[in-house]
Amino acid sequence: MSPSSDIHKLLDETIRRERGWLISSLVSRLGPGKVDLAEDVAQDAIVKALATWPYKGVPDNPRAWLRRVAGNTAIDRIRRSARELGIDDDWDLASEESDIITPSLSDPELDLMVLCCDPALAPQDQLFLALKTVCGFTAAETAALFFLKEDALSQRLARAKRQLRNQSGELARFPTRFALKDRLPQLLKMIYLMFSWGYLPRRGDVLFREDVCREAIRLSESLLAQTDGQTAGHHALHALLLFQTARFPARAGPDGSLLTLEQQDRTKWDQEMIFDGFAQLQAAQSSPSLTRYHLEAGIASVHAQARTWQGTDWPAIVQLYSLLNQQAPSLAVSVNLAVSLIYAGEISSAQTQLDKAETLAAAQDLPGYHLARAKLARAQGNGSKAQAALKRAAACRISAPIDEHIARQAALIDIEA
Amino acid sequence: MAKFVLMLPHAPDRYTNLGEDEFMDLMKDYIGWVEEMSAKGKFEGGEKLLDEGGKIVTNKSGSIEVHDGPFAEVAEILGGYMVINAEDYDEAVEIARSHPHMKHNETIIIRQTDASADD
Repeated sequence: MSPSSDIHKLLDETIRRERGWLISSLVSRLGPGKVDLAEDVAQDAIVKALATWPYKGVPDNPRAWLRRVAGNTAIDRIRRSARELGIDDDWDLASEESDIITPSLSDPELDLMVLCCDPALAPQDQLFLALKTVCGFTAAETAALFFLKEDALSQRLARAKRQLRNQSGELARFPTRFALKDRLPQLLKMIYLMFSWGYLPRRGDVLFREDVCREAIRLSESLLAQTDGQTAGHHALHALLLFQTARFPARAGPDGSLLTLEQQDRTKWDQEMIFDGFAQLQAAQSSPSLTRYHLEAGIASVHAQARTWQGTDWPAIVQLYSLLNQQAPSLAVSVNLAVSLIYAGEISSAQTQLDKAETLAAAQDLPGYHLARAKLARAQGNGSKAQAALKRAAACRISAPIDEHIARQAALIDIEA
Repeated sequence: MAKFVLMLPHAPDRYTNLGEDEFMDLMKDYIGWVEEMSAKGKFEGGEKLLDEGGKIVTNKSGSIEVHDGPFAEVAEILGGYMVINAEDYDEAVEIARSHPHMKHNETIIIRQTDASADD
């Protein structure tokens, strides 16, 4: 990697990470009604950094720099608006008053996430808000993740923030530990989704965003510590995140291209993480109910246990996907079930499964569906059908490395044919 | 090794209507370049100039006049300057060629500093 692309990566990660941190810590100090102000302040600091660093170079500690500038901007802005409102301008970020708002957790990012999980907001809006504020994605990035126009997303975000602001009394504060308990399942879902987008971004040039995944793990860890892992499925979710992340060192080729499970050098898997994953899976057995995270972690654990691709216990994976398909049916699960059936040698069941998936509206836009079709056609010895399916997969564009992966497979079939 | 000043002018409205992501991508190119040149020992420093304001002080037949900016009639404003190390103008021009300013804007003005007064 050239120094210039290294610095791009460093900047992307620092800015995204710091934006989330700045917004979270400002909201925890200023109160839930000030999400807008916190976002503006964080944005000002970032723009200032980007405008001056070209002339000064990146400071030795970019995070400290951003935090200092954002802190100063926040104080300036609050003083200015206090003056405009005619109230005394001694307001200080460090004053006792700001401690009236007592976050319910000791982690500002988790606090903001809990705040976003407000039941008064539509679940999808909760998610947009969390990604935009806690995770530090820009509006454009968040919009791309959901295949939305940036304008539409901005409108929904503005409405969600207005709703948060308009709540009065108790609700205007951070939720109490009691209220927090009700929001935990949604919080787990957010961590899960945040990780998913880091694991397979739907746009851009990188195969995965390790920084996003590691942050999801950090948030999950922090929440585990503060809630004693009492939420159903939390240990299982944590196990899942660890198993998936353990494969990162083997998941990309030297040029950043995708290496599938079949192609991966399994000696590169992070064994320590896998070990921790199994410990979490063990702890997950005491969960009050069986969640989708249990099943997904179970599937990941079967892969983690297999020392070779050929040694994979496909019947176990088929069984787990079947259960998952009953408990949390979705197009992606149904497609994955079909793929595992192909590897388990149950071709006609796979065909039935894919025919069922085909009736779902989104199937045509999901490259995974067409890739599964291609796999099935090859297993049935139908090269031209496989090629046609790959063409359709290539038409659903996602991130550059996945697009290339599909193109390579198509080329491979051409050679074989 | 001599020092050269790179002056980086841009159109007055170059950065006013850019989207956030666009602006970020642009600036990342600049920062990446500066880091690369610093690593090679070619980058000495620089200053970004504020976009707004600016004054011109003139002495016309004995009386000093002060004019406030911005100067609407100018085609380009000076966004900032950088100081680089190079053997000669040839190398300074080579370095300027690789500058992201040449990709995102139109002009770089290069001037060598007069080192004869240095110790």
